[in-house]
Amino acid sequence: MNSKLSTRDFSMLISLLIIWIIFAILSPTFVSARNLSILMIEFSIIAVLALGMLLIILPGHIDLSVGSGVGLFGGIASVLVFQYNWNATFAMLCSLLLAVVVWWLMGALVVKQKIPAFIITLGGLLIFKGCFWLVIQNATIPVVKGGNSNLYSLLTTYYLPATVGYILCFAIIAGVIYRKIVNRRNRHAYGFEVESVEISFMKVFVTAQGALLFVLISNQYKGIPLSIVILGALAIFIHILTEHTRFGRYLYAIGSNEKAAFISGIPVERLVIMSFAIMGGIVALTGFMQTAYAGASTTTIGNLMELDAIAACVIGGTSLKGGRGNVMGVLFGSLIMVSLLNGMTLLAISPEIKFITRGTVLTLAVWMDIRLSNK
Amino acid sequence: METLNFTAKNIVKKFPGVIALGGVNFELRAGEIHSICGENGAGKSTLIKVLSGIHAHGSYEGSLHLGDKALVLSSLKDAEQVGITVIYQELALIEDMTVAENIFLGREPTHNGIIDWHRIYKEAQQLLNQFHINIDPTTRLGDLGVGQQQLVEIVKALGKKSRILILDEPTSALTEKEVEVLLSIVKNLRTQGISCVYISHKLEEVFDISDRITILRDGQSITTLEAKQTNRDEVIHYMVGREIKDLFPRKKTSVGKTLLKVNDLCVHNDEDKAVLHDISLEVKAGEVLGIGGLMGSGRSELLLHIFGAWGKRRNGTVEMNGQLLQNHTPTQSIQKGLVMVSEDRKLYGLILEKDIGFNQSLSSLKSFSSMFLIDSEREFVANDKFFKSLRIKAPNLESIVENLSGGNQQKVVLGKALMTDPKVVFLDEPTRGIDVGAKLEVYELMNQLTEKGYAVIMISSELPELLGMSDRIMMLCEGRVGGTFVNENLNQQQLMAAAMEAK
Repeated sequence: MNSKLSTRDFSMLISLLIIWIIFAILSPTFVSARNLSILMIEFSIIAVLALGMLLIILPGHIDLSVGSGVGLFGGIASVLVFQYNWNATFAMLCSLLLAVVVWWLMGALVVKQKIPAFIITLGGLLIFKGCFWLVIQNATIPVVKGGNSNLYSLLTTYYLPATVGYILCFAIIAGVIYRKIVNRRNRHAYGFEVESVEISFMKVFVTAQGALLFVLISNQYKGIPLSIVILGALAIFIHILTEHTRFGRYLYAIGSNEKAAFISGIPVERLVIMSFAIMGGIVALTGFMQTAYAGASTTTIGNLMELDAIAACVIGGTSLKGGRGNVMGVLFGSLIMVSLLNGMTLLAISPEIKFITRGTVLTLAVWMDIRLSNK
Repeated sequence: METLNFTAKNIVKKFPGVIALGGVNFELRAGEIHSICGENGAGKSTLIKVLSGIHAHGSYEGSLHLGDKALVLSSLKDAEQVGITVIYQELALIEDMTVAENIFLGREPTHNGIIDWHRIYKEAQQLLNQFHINIDPTTRLGDLGVGQQQLVEIVKALGKKSRILILDEPTSALTEKEVEVLLSIVKNLRTQGISCVYISHKLEEVFDISDRITILRDGQSITTLEAKQTNRDEVIHYMVGREIKDLFPRKKTSVGKTLLKVNDLCVHNDEDKAVLHDISLEVKAGEVLGIGGLMGSGRSELLLHIFGAWGKRRNGTVEMNGQLLQNHTPTQSIQKGLVMVSEDRKLYGLILEKDIGFNQSLSSLKSFSSMFLIDSEREFVANDKFFKSLRIKAPNLESIVENLSGGNQQKVVLGKALMTDPKVVFLDEPTRGIDVGAKLEVYELMNQLTEKGYAVIMISSELPELLGMSDRIMMLCEGRVGGTFVNENLNQQQLMAAAMEAK
């Protein structure tokens, strides 16, 4: 539906470029193929979580428990694999199902008992953290036994072969071009404003260039990380969900005007519970990715990730009041957040300053959100 | 402080496109209770806002005088300083504070910057005694009933040395017993030289306490009567007194089978207070049932309950097309062919920040969806059909609803309702706040609907609209049926009488 590049989209792109240029100047390794590959894995982890958060914020709620949840459900899978010798795939599947049930319950408490999501998930934050430390007994539990690999460990260590990367890249470019043509044709038929051919071409051209550049750089190192493929699949899924299904439409309607949504016949309660349940699955997925990235489950996994996810959403133009936000924005917001964290780590900036920077960025993003939604 | 006569001379207040007050004269003599009566929309609230400084001096024509001096009021605060206080329907009190704290809220006596609690409680007790109100000043306000809270509000005003009280529908939320206490206290104020402006829909109360009554109609002060020398019928006659113009193009159609049937409905609100009592109604295909009644009569609550969006049912049945509806949600109502266009389109009707297409198809997405995806082509076709047939004035379906005029916004809400392919359509104040042209279009739409065999229930505060567009009319009064009429040789007086007094 969005035909024009808003100033906000544009400002995100500009700030991302500025951040990259500054880090590239201060530390040339920032733009090395190896670091960009690491950056992409870190990006995919935060962005997956932030995409889930989008589904919670769109209808006007919030989830503070996801960071602890990431630790807990990653930890459960680790314990099942390492201590109980379960098959990794099966262990992850069980952990994921459990997470869906837990989030479904939290959603039910929010809508049926009218307890604000802020409180429920704040309780969840503490409870999950405690459960997490109980589950792993405050120890370090590797995601795989011995030096082998399993599906769990491969989540962040597998890279696509170079040729597969190219094929994927061209498939995506073809897909983008096809969508653009169909979209233009439909809008024309509907009598809507159609952007000029030049702008359409430029958009497709820049996207294609970006994709190609990404594959070239990735292939210089080990290839496209599997985690980026997971993120891509999830992003497409959430995009379709929010833009092209009833479920998504209803989430926007609930977030903008819950009373009108209710009178319009939208099953508000069921939808909010469903979005929480999806969030549960995404939390578990993020948990597996983050734990695999660390190589083992330890007490610090998932720390403060809820805030990074919320910040990514808000930086990406999601309104905390609900009703506004989209997948593209969240991806950009996550990339900005991750670039900052990664760059600061490269520059060996002390944790104190990193905390302060994270806090400042989050505050600025919320302030901008309020400024923009008052307009 | 001595009480002075308070007069408003020739007040004219215009809003964009509407003249709310077209030359109102009003005189409040020292120490009298003076009621203002008029239909909804006659200009009562605008007049109060002028008298209390909410509409600042200069935003209207005409002048205010206190005694011989001209009065310039630029805010509520200005009015309070000269001793004029308004007490609104919604209480401006804090439930978690004590009665005394509320009375002194915002002007707590201090001693070296520390609040002097002893004085607060002592003086609060004195004030309560002075007006013979038996409430302990240390009680938490929230523990009092609404009626006693209202009294605290009055004492709070009097504590500020107010000499003129404006009471806006003070009894609408009170029980009979509480009303009695309140009225006796208001009468008592008269003996202390305090003047009151009293606004109420309940004529009994008006006659009980007033010295004089001023009647407003269509933004004009029609007349001022001595309460002792007039009667209900005369007041109602002056309140209504206008001809129905040929604004209403109602075309009767042949009536089909009964679509909606409601029997002995008793409904409580969330606080378990009874709001609707023993209401029965039915509506047939091809018929427009008008529902009237004063504010607070339970009109909207009735339709919202039938629609499944409000209240707890204690008794009665709702039957739609032969099927019972019970513990249902709006989602289920819409599936059964019942749809509601709410009174406040911004609050309950529209997703303002989204476009016309988003809003129109919101209730009908199921019919354009395959398993998972919305078929955007079919959605567009349906949207476009209503966009064109309702003649919504906007560049295209992607126009943001917030930027449309009231009439066009209303058409979007109507489009959303009609797209669900309903059998029974509830219209709650369908023409509120829209211009005459758009009103006519809404009326014509109602004709088209009944011709197609839909049944329509329309709530309206405007008696001419009820008389002009309904086949039958039901008047509600305080949650009960005040009367049901076939719309033949009916006049406004009969309807007004039914709205004032439940059988």
